[in-house]
Amino acid sequence: MGDSIVWLRAVTKDYGQGDVVVRALRGIDLTLDRGDFAAVAGPSGSGKSTLLNVMSGLDRPSSGEVSLDGRDLTRLSRSELSRLRLTRIGFVFQAYNLLPVLTAYENAEYVLMMQGVPASARRERVMGLLELVGLGGMEDRFPRELSGGQQQRVAIARAIASEPALILADEPTANVDSKTAAALLDLMQQLNEEKGVTFLFSTHDRKVMARAGRLIRLVDGRIAYDGEAGSLEALDADEG
Amino acid sequence: MALVKIAWRSIWRNRRRTLITLSSIVLCLAIAVFFIAAQHGVYDRLVDEAVRMQSGHLCVEHAEYIEAPAIDLVVRDVSALRKRIERIHGVESTKALVIGQGVAKSASGSVGVAVLGVEPEVEMRSSPLARKIVRGSYLAEEDGASAVVGAELVKKLKLDIGKKLVISSNDMGGDLVEEQLRVKGIFETGSTEVDAYVIQIPLGFARKLYGMGDGLSGEATRLGIVLADADERGEVMDGVAGLLAGEQAVRTWEEVMPDLAAFIEMDVVSNYIFQGIILFLILFTIFNTLLMSVLERKREFAVLLALGTSNGRIKIQILLESAFIALLGVAFGLLVGGLVTGYFQAEGIDLSSLMEEGMSISGFAMDMVMYPALTAELLAVLGAVVFAATLLMSLYPMGQIKRIPVADVLR
Repeated sequence: MGDSIVWLRAVTKDYGQGDVVVRALRGIDLTLDRGDFAAVAGPSGSGKSTLLNVMSGLDRPSSGEVSLDGRDLTRLSRSELSRLRLTRIGFVFQAYNLLPVLTAYENAEYVLMMQGVPASARRERVMGLLELVGLGGMEDRFPRELSGGQQQRVAIARAIASEPALILADEPTANVDSKTAAALLDLMQQLNEEKGVTFLFSTHDRKVMARAGRLIRLVDGRIAYDGEAGSLEALDADEG
Repeated sequence: MALVKIAWRSIWRNRRRTLITLSSIVLCLAIAVFFIAAQHGVYDRLVDEAVRMQSGHLCVEHAEYIEAPAIDLVVRDVSALRKRIERIHGVESTKALVIGQGVAKSASGSVGVAVLGVEPEVEMRSSPLARKIVRGSYLAEEDGASAVVGAELVKKLKLDIGKKLVISSNDMGGDLVEEQLRVKGIFETGSTEVDAYVIQIPLGFARKLYGMGDGLSGEATRLGIVLADADERGEVMDGVAGLLAGEQAVRTWEEVMPDLAAFIEMDVVSNYIFQGIILFLILFTIFNTLLMSVLERKREFAVLLALGTSNGRIKIQILLESAFIALLGVAFGLLVGGLVTGYFQAEGIDLSSLMEEGMSISGFAMDMVMYPALTAELLAVLGAVVFAATLLMSLYPMGQIKRIPVADVLR
């Protein structure tokens, strides 16, 4: 598996039962390497979110193997998966999903606190991160006092605060305008290049896909394309 | 610390709902405090007046009197016995009573009565009846053929202060006896049963009427024992039992006034039901709030679970939220209930305009001015019950956490 962070073999995921079974993933083989800045693209219902959920242990595959950072997720208990997510995975959601009762600082601090990082170390790291994501001076604002783009920056700060091995971002730019989306991508790319954080994000947005170092194209639960994202020919072929 | 902060802020996210929930708890708890304290107040006063007027908290009787009350079943050597009993710690006073039946006659007619031979000085100190003289005066130690009678009896027999009445009865030997008395005082307790039926006469005269032994030792139907603190009854009862001869028995007021005891017991049960309903309303309100608050935050909890927060930690957060709501509700509920009840405990609630005829239970007139009896124990028990029950109520919402399909909710 070399320097891979995520490793999937023959992964399938079915929903429903009896006669009504939806096959969301149909035999996925995929390896994500450390330092990847990868995008999962595909039309709605192609299995992007399911793939991210299976990789993070939020969903169990119907068959196949999933390994994260050398650990077989299919063999871990619910609490072990929870612990693994806490220490090894950062999440960025389409709807930001910040805790509304916590300030920007407290949201970014949350995972560190769960990990038992001392308060002084938390403060230093979180203040630095908020500065990094362009929210210096806004640490005491509650989510309702921030714009969508600012909330997503807090979410990114929360995701990278514990320096996870992998950040999974489900449509992270879907709810923000194009200018904010570009700024968020700049931020994620900067974190990837400067801190070596591995990113895998799902997206519909071709501009976002074009920024990814690697593009994984899903169609009907299968990988239709996995390669360089510089050229959009593969996308265009799918669009067609 | 973080959980405490999140829990505290979370209960104020839906400020209106939390305030409505708290108001419900405060109102229900305050009502519960008031009514339970009022009930205790009524019982305490009723029992206190009843025991002071009749039996005492404890009493010594002839062992067979309770089965078949008869004038010849007496306690002997009363004077010597009461001296020994009064030395027992916790005994406030003792009172000798002669209890008999008879017919009271005047020029206007005759009516069956209960004749109570009492010690005027003792009664003046302890009996509520002695304080309810509306005309004339109460008996004095030196009185002979004098009686205090109820206002209703006065009406029936057309009596008045200084007028004569004749009591006919059977003495200890079974012979028919008659004595003439003069009305010295008229009492009005508010209970028709008491006011139309009870005549009090001096103990010495009652002994003479019924042919009982008098003198230093004396005989009486009952030697009542009034306690300074009713809670010490058990110890005093043991002490008294050790002093008694074989034909004597010590009884509790519940044994000698079973009707009153049964009424209170029945009323206590009905009040338990009432209290249960109030508690159910409080808990249902809390449960509804807790459950709604968890169900409408499924997505938020799903995010926390996705981030790696353990089920247990989220459950503790919900428990803390429940505890905050319960603490606030209980604190303000007890405060409001305590203040309102405390006010009426000091001022009393006059119910006489609601019940002009008055009310009596087993022949004991209830005071129409009700004084709730608020105790720290009542507040502590009610507060603890609501608090503990709230934490129990939070178990179900807590159980919902593990059922949250995280991936589906976040999709």
